[in-house]
Amino acid sequence: MSGDLRIGVDIGGTFTDVVVRRPGSPTRIMKIPTTRSDPSLAVLEALQRMQSEWGLAPDEVARFVHGTTVATNAVLERKGAKVGVIATEGFRDVLEIGRQMRHQMYQLALDPETPTFLAPGRMRHEVPERISATGEVLKALDEAAVADAADALVAAGARAIAVVFLFSFLDDRHERRAREIILTRHPDVFVSLSSEVDPAFREYERTVVTAFDAYVKPVVDRYLANLDSGLLGASVSAPLQVMQSRGGISGSWTARLRPVRLFLSGPAAGVIGAKMAAETAGVRDLITVDVGGTSCDIALIEDGTPALRSEGLIDGYPVRVGMVDVNSIGSGGGSIAWIDVAGGLRVGPQSAGSEPGPACYGRGGMEATVTDASVVLGYLDPDYFAGGKLKLRPELAHDAVARIAGRLNLTVEQAALGIHRILNAQMAEGIRLVSIRQGHDPRRFTLLPLGGGGALHACALAEELGITRVLVPRHPGVLSAAGLLAAPIEHESSTALPRRAEDFDLGEVKHTLHGLDQRCSALMNDEKVERGAVSVRYFADVCYAGQGYHLEVPFEPDAADPFGALTAAFYAAHDRTYGHAPQAPIRLVNLRTVHTAVGLEKLQEDDWFPAAREALIRRARILLPEQQAPVEAAVYDRAALKAGDPFDGPAIVEQNDTTTLVTPGWRGRADTHGNLVLERTSN
Amino acid sequence: MSRSAQTLDPVTVEVVRNKLDGIANEMELTLLKSSFSPIVKEGLDASASLFTLQGETLAQAIAIPIHLATLIPCVARFLNEFPIEKMREGDIYCMNDPYLGGTHLPDIAVVMPVFARGRPIAFAATMTHHQDVGGMAPGSVPTNATEIFQEGIRLPPLKLRDGEVFNDTLLKILRRNVRIPETFEGDLMAQVAACTVGVRRLSALANTYGDNHLTAIFSELLDRSETMTRDALRAIPQGTYRAVDFLDNDGIDLDRRIRIEVAVTVGDGAMTVDFTGSSPQVRGPFNVVPSGSLAASCFALRAITDPRITTNGGCFRPITLKLPEGSIVNPREPAPVNSRTATIKRITGTILAAFAEAVPDRVPADNAGELLALSFGGARPDGTRYVIGELVASGAGASRDKDGVDVIETDATNCMNLPAEALELDAPIRVNRAMLRRDSGGAGAHRGGLGILREYEILHGEVRFTHRGERHYIAPKGSAGGHDGAMARTVIYRRGGGEEVIPSKLVTTLHAGDRVVFETAGGGGHGDPARRTGEQLRADLADGKISREGAASYGVTPSPEAT
Repeated sequence: MSGDLRIGVDIGGTFTDVVVRRPGSPTRIMKIPTTRSDPSLAVLEALQRMQSEWGLAPDEVARFVHGTTVATNAVLERKGAKVGVIATEGFRDVLEIGRQMRHQMYQLALDPETPTFLAPGRMRHEVPERISATGEVLKALDEAAVADAADALVAAGARAIAVVFLFSFLDDRHERRAREIILTRHPDVFVSLSSEVDPAFREYERTVVTAFDAYVKPVVDRYLANLDSGLLGASVSAPLQVMQSRGGISGSWTARLRPVRLFLSGPAAGVIGAKMAAETAGVRDLITVDVGGTSCDIALIEDGTPALRSEGLIDGYPVRVGMVDVNSIGSGGGSIAWIDVAGGLRVGPQSAGSEPGPACYGRGGMEATVTDASVVLGYLDPDYFAGGKLKLRPELAHDAVARIAGRLNLTVEQAALGIHRILNAQMAEGIRLVSIRQGHDPRRFTLLPLGGGGALHACALAEELGITRVLVPRHPGVLSAAGLLAAPIEHESSTALPRRAEDFDLGEVKHTLHGLDQRCSALMNDEKVERGAVSVRYFADVCYAGQGYHLEVPFEPDAADPFGALTAAFYAAHDRTYGHAPQAPIRLVNLRTVHTAVGLEKLQEDDWFPAAREALIRRARILLPEQQAPVEAAVYDRAALKAGDPFDGPAIVEQNDTTTLVTPGWRGRADTHGNLVLERTSN
Repeated sequence: MSRSAQTLDPVTVEVVRNKLDGIANEMELTLLKSSFSPIVKEGLDASASLFTLQGETLAQAIAIPIHLATLIPCVARFLNEFPIEKMREGDIYCMNDPYLGGTHLPDIAVVMPVFARGRPIAFAATMTHHQDVGGMAPGSVPTNATEIFQEGIRLPPLKLRDGEVFNDTLLKILRRNVRIPETFEGDLMAQVAACTVGVRRLSALANTYGDNHLTAIFSELLDRSETMTRDALRAIPQGTYRAVDFLDNDGIDLDRRIRIEVAVTVGDGAMTVDFTGSSPQVRGPFNVVPSGSLAASCFALRAITDPRITTNGGCFRPITLKLPEGSIVNPREPAPVNSRTATIKRITGTILAAFAEAVPDRVPADNAGELLALSFGGARPDGTRYVIGELVASGAGASRDKDGVDVIETDATNCMNLPAEALELDAPIRVNRAMLRRDSGGAGAHRGGLGILREYEILHGEVRFTHRGERHYIAPKGSAGGHDGAMARTVIYRRGGGEEVIPSKLVTTLHAGDRVVFETAGGGGHGDPARRTGEQLRADLADGKISREGAASYGVTPSPEAT
C-alpha cells in the first residue's frame, strides 16, 4: 500500500458527499451532484477532482469506504430483478398471505400489505420436501421438482431465485441441494437461501427478507462490480468497502453476497458519524435528529452504542435483518401549513418536498411551509441558504404565510411563529415516543442535529423534551461520509437454536458458536484483517417460555455460569425494555456472533483552527415565540468561532451546511474540536 | 368557527391538540410496555384515553378499533358514582361490569382524575383486556356460557385507590378470583402506571397554559371535531339507508341465525342508527352491550368521513343509537356477552353496507368479516401442557377501483395470524398446508379478496378443540353486480375415516392422526364480472387466484394458451 489517504463517499438523493482524511492534515470535504442513472459516476468524478483540485493521487488511497442507496432505490423505484420463489409444498403463498394485519385501520378499500410485487403467484413454485419442527427429514427433497421449478421460473424470466423451505434454519441441506440443482442448470441465476439470509423461525418474515435479497442482488452485484473495476481503472488499489445497515462495514465482495444488509447503509453511516462527533465532545448518550424536507429521522445512541433493531421496514414491508434503529416521523422543513374546515391551523403531514419545494424556493410552490416560516422569522439568510447555492425569495415566503395568516386573523409573523411552534410540538412528541419505546427518558440525552435542517429547531425541541444540551457537529451536512471512516469492519452471523431452559447444553452452544465464528473469521480473512485486530462478541436472542417476541442480550460462553448470567442479563434487558421482569423460565431462540475490527487507525477529529476573522458577522432582527416585537440577534460565522468563547441567545450561527438558532436561555460555545455546544442557562 | 375560538389563539389550540395526542400515545406505550400478558403485548388489546370532566373523549390511542369509544359509558358511570367535588388527588377508579358501562368482563377500565390547583380538570383512562378474570373457563371467554356469572368476576364502579391508599380489600378479593393473579395484578398496575403518566403530563400542560385556558381549549377541540364531522355528514345525501346481515348462530342454538338489522338515517349533519328488527338477545355469549354498537358506529363514521378529523368526543356528538331493549344489541341481565367481538364486526359491516346505498363509490362490497377463533389444548409427548389460540382472517370486499385484499383483517379488529413454524415449535400439531383459497373471492369487475385454506394434523394425544367461525351459512354480499364471496367451511377428517362438517361453532376432542381443514370466507365482488378484462383474468389464472372452473363465473372459458 503506497498511500495513507482515507476516503468516505456517501451517496444521497441530491448530493454525493466525499470526505478525505490524511493523518496529520485537515479533513477535506467535497459535495458533487448525485448521478442518479449511475451513482458510481459521481464517485469516479470525485477521484478526478481530488487530483485536479487538491493534488491527491488515486494511488495514495489506502481505504475507500462507501455508503450506498443502490439497494434501497432498487426497491423504492421497483427496479430490482425479476424474482422466482421456490417453497415447501403447501406453502407457496406465504409471501402473499403475510400476517393479515392492516396498517391503515380506517381505510375502507384496503391495499395489500405484503410485497407480492417481488413474486406474484405465477413466479412462486412449490416442491415436495419437509423438515419437522425438531429438524428431522419428514419428506426427502424432490430433486426433479426443483429442476422443473427452476426451469419454469427461468423460462418466465427470473434472474434471481429465493429458496425458502420450512424449518430450514434447523437443517439447511434441502435448501443447499436446491441451490446446487438450480446453479447446475442455470449458472447465471442469482440464488438466495433463507437459511443463509435469515436463519430464524416465522416463515413469512424469512420469506420476505430472502425474496428482497434476491430482488436486489443482481442490481447490487452489477453496481458494486462496476464501481470496483472503475476504482481499479482509476488506479485505486485499496479494496472497496461498504457500510451495512448495522453500522459496520464489510468488503464489497461480502456485500454482494448478502445485499439485503445494505438497506440502511446511508442512515447507519450518519448515526456512526454522529456517535464519532459526539465522542470528541465527550458525549456518549445522544439523540440524533435529521430534519429533512418531508420527514424527521430520529436515532438514539446510549453509552456510545447506537440502538439496533433486529427487524425494520423497507418501503413499509418488514425486513428481518439487523439495522440501526432509525425512526421516521412525517414532519420536516417542507411540511405544509393548512387550515382545516373548522378553522384550525395544521402543519403536515403533506409536504412540498424538494419539488416544487417551499414557496421561497421560487419553483412554483404556493403553499406556506416550515421553511417559509423560517424565512419570515428572519432565521434564514436568503442569500446564504445552503452556503449560497440556492437563493431564497423572501417575498414569496411572506406571501404564502400571509395567505394563512389572513384566514386566521393573525399577523404574518404570528402565523410564522405558529407554524414553528406546531411543528416543534409534533417533532418533540415524536422524539419522546421513540425514546420511551426504547426504554429511555430523553432528558438525560444530548440532542444532536444531523443533516442540514435540524439545527434551526434544536433549542426548541430540547426545551420541549427537557433536554439541557445540544451539540451541533462541525459538518452536520456530511456526517454520514465522515461516519464511514470511523466505522468498524463488522461481520455478523447467526443461527436458530430453539431450546427450552431445561435443554440448555453448553457443549452444543459452544459448538454452534464455533461454527458461526468460523464463518466470520473466513470473511475477516478475505478482507485481510489480522486475527489479533478482531474482537469477538456473542449474543443470544432470548424470550420467556411461551412468549412470542425476544430480546437480544450479550452472552459469554466462558463465564463461570454462562446460563445463569444469560438469564440475569435477559431479566435486566426485559425490565429496561418492558418495565418488569418476572423470574420465570426463559427460552433460547437464536445465537449470534459479531466479529469487529475497529478501524485500523484511531480516527480523531482535527483540532479546531478558527478562521482568522471576526466571528460576529452582523446583527439581525428576528422573531421569537412569546416576544411581541422583533429582537436583535447576533449572527456568527461558524468557521470563525474561537474555542471556548461563550455567547448567549438570541443568536444565529451560520455555516454552509446548516443554520443554528440559539434561543434566549441558551448559551453557546465552540469546543476544542470545533463542535458547537449549546447549554441551557435558565429554566 | 365556534364562539370560543374567537378568544383562543389558533396556534396554541393546535399545539395543545398535538400534545394531547402525544400524551395518549405515551400512555398507550406505557400500557403495552408494562403489561404482562401476551394478549396485551402481542394482541394490543388495550387502549388509553383522556376525557373531559363532562365525560367526553379528548384524545385516545388505540391499536384496534373495537376500543373506539368503549370507555365512554365507564367514565359516565364513574361520574355518576363519584361526584367530582368529592374526588381527591390520587384517586383511581375501576370497573368491568358490562351492565354498568363495561364491554365484557375481561376488559377492565381504570380511570384517574387529573388535578390542577387542587381541582379536577380531566381524566386519564385506560382499558385492558385481562388474560383471565375467573369464571367457568380459563381465559374467561367461555363460548358455551349462558349467563354472565359464568364469565368471571363482576366489578361495579369501585375505588381501586383512595388518594394514595390502594384498596387492599378489593385487591385481595380479585387475587382469589382470577387464575393467574401475578399476571392479573401486573396488567392492572400497568394500567395504573399509564394513567399516572397521563395525569403527570396533563397537569404539566395545565401549569404551562393555565387550567382555565386549557379547559377552554378542550371545548374548542371538541367543537372543531364536531363541526368537521357534521360537515362531512352533510356531504352524504340525506335519507334512511337500511341493511341486514346475519351471524351464523350463538354456539348454543346452532340452527338459529342471528339477524342484525340497521336503519341509518343521515340528515342535517347528524346520524341515527336504529337497530329495530335485530334479533332478540340470544342464549349464547354473542350479545353485545351498547358500547359495542357505539364503537361500531364510530368506526363506520370515521371510515366514511374525512380521515383528517381529529378523533375525539366531538366526532361522537352527531351519533344517536336506537337499541331495542332485550335485543342482541341491548341485552338484559344476566345474558352472557363474552364473544361479542364477532357481533361488533358484523354490526360494523352492516352499518357500512347501509352507507353503501348513500355513497356507493366509497364503500366496498362486503368484507368477509370472519375472524375465525381457534383454540387447541393438549399435552406434549413429555407431558407438559399447552394451550394455543389462533385468529384467522378472511377476504376483503372489492371496491370500485380495486380488487379486495386476500386474507386480511378488516373493520373492528386487527390482529396477526400464527406462523406455522411458531405453532409447530410450540405444540405437536403439524400444518400441512397454508394457502390462498382459490375461487373464494366473489367474482366481479373487481374481484373479492380470497380466504385462506389451512390444514392441521394432530400429532400426539387428545386435544380439546374450540372452533368459533362465522360466514358458514351466510355469504358476504357482492355489490354493484359483483358476486358474493365464498362461505367459510371447516371439516374434521377423523383418522379412522369419517368427516364432520363443523356448524360454525364447536367444542370437541381431536386425536392423533385427525386432520382439520379450515377454509375462511372470501370477500364480495364489485361490479359486473363480465367487465373484468381478459388481461386481469389471465393474471388471476396464472397467479392461481381463480381456477379454470372459477373462470366460468366471469362468463368466459379461457383458451388453454391463456395460462
